[in-house]
Amino acid sequence: MINLRIAQWRAWAPSLHSYEDWQAWAKSPWTPADQGEQPDCAFLPPMQRRRLSRMARMAMDVAWPLCGKDEQLPLVFASRHGEIQRTYGLLGDVADQQPLSPTQFGLSVHNAIAGQWSILRGQRGEASAIAGEADTFEHAMLEAATLLDQGAPAVIMVIAEERPPSAYDAWIDDVPFSYALALRVGEPQPGQDASSTSRWQLQLTRNIADTNNADKSQASTPHSAWPHALDFLRALHEPGASLEHAFLEHAWKTRRWIWQRLP
Amino acid sequence: MNALQQDIAQLIIDTLNLEDLQPSDIPPEQPLFGQGLGLDSVDALELALALQKRYEIQIASDSRDARQHFATVASLATFVEAQRAACAN
Repeated sequence: MINLRIAQWRAWAPSLHSYEDWQAWAKSPWTPADQGEQPDCAFLPPMQRRRLSRMARMAMDVAWPLCGKDEQLPLVFASRHGEIQRTYGLLGDVADQQPLSPTQFGLSVHNAIAGQWSILRGQRGEASAIAGEADTFEHAMLEAATLLDQGAPAVIMVIAEERPPSAYDAWIDDVPFSYALALRVGEPQPGQDASSTSRWQLQLTRNIADTNNADKSQASTPHSAWPHALDFLRALHEPGASLEHAFLEHAWKTRRWIWQRLP
Repeated sequence: MNALQQDIAQLIIDTLNLEDLQPSDIPPEQPLFGQGLGLDSVDALELALALQKRYEIQIASDSRDARQHFATVASLATFVEAQRAACAN
């Protein structure tokens, strides 16, 4: 069981940029059309942003303001499918027996965005790049909690997914639209004036519904309709009145993650 | 700037994704790497690949003279012309 405080968050998706956009989305979510638009990352000079993929731009856009200019904070980058557009392009070149672009190849690895963050922000501390299954978000939060436990004052956690090429339609069904979410995660500090909506407890239990297939009546947790990170983002928007009811369950295979908002 | 130089400058811009730059922003004699335009070693690899595709020339990766050939747009143009002539023979 871990306790965490969400000090700040930012999210980006096609046509969803501002806090107001996300507030409206959280209230009654929809799938925005994805026309390949990307954040302009105008805070970076052109020579520095020229190698940023769409996904890297999404990650930079949301994470950038959450880390102060003079702060050194560990980063957790999480993505289930990673640079799937880049890798698909490379696979096409391999199939066509074309030489591979060194830049595309070098930046297709899962820790490339964490590396670019480190270079662009002058971050010299720890960085992790995580790929889990549908519960990648929870694994990333666990990673953030271990970094906090080791003494980090806060952790920048970024989760990003991009709509995969249509060739993957038969296999990938958990990215309804491209999105990136960045959280500034800290230990809950009692007595501080952090908003009560931002303290959470995360608990992992065995998902009996999955491990005991014989008894379907136990299957009380259908998959959440939205990716876990976006479902959590919705919960962040719950009005204060329903505080004690703030409760999320994310089940995947043998794992059942329980999020509970702390008073 | 001659036609080939102009063409190479445009290739550099397109290949290396140099947003907001025009070929005229890269004078033929301006150093491409380090203090000049600011390209780095990964750009050099990417550029070599693009030049080979575009002009159907061979660039030996162990060429001792590569550093000089890649110094400026002008030196690249001279190099491409020489390679084209060599490949045509």
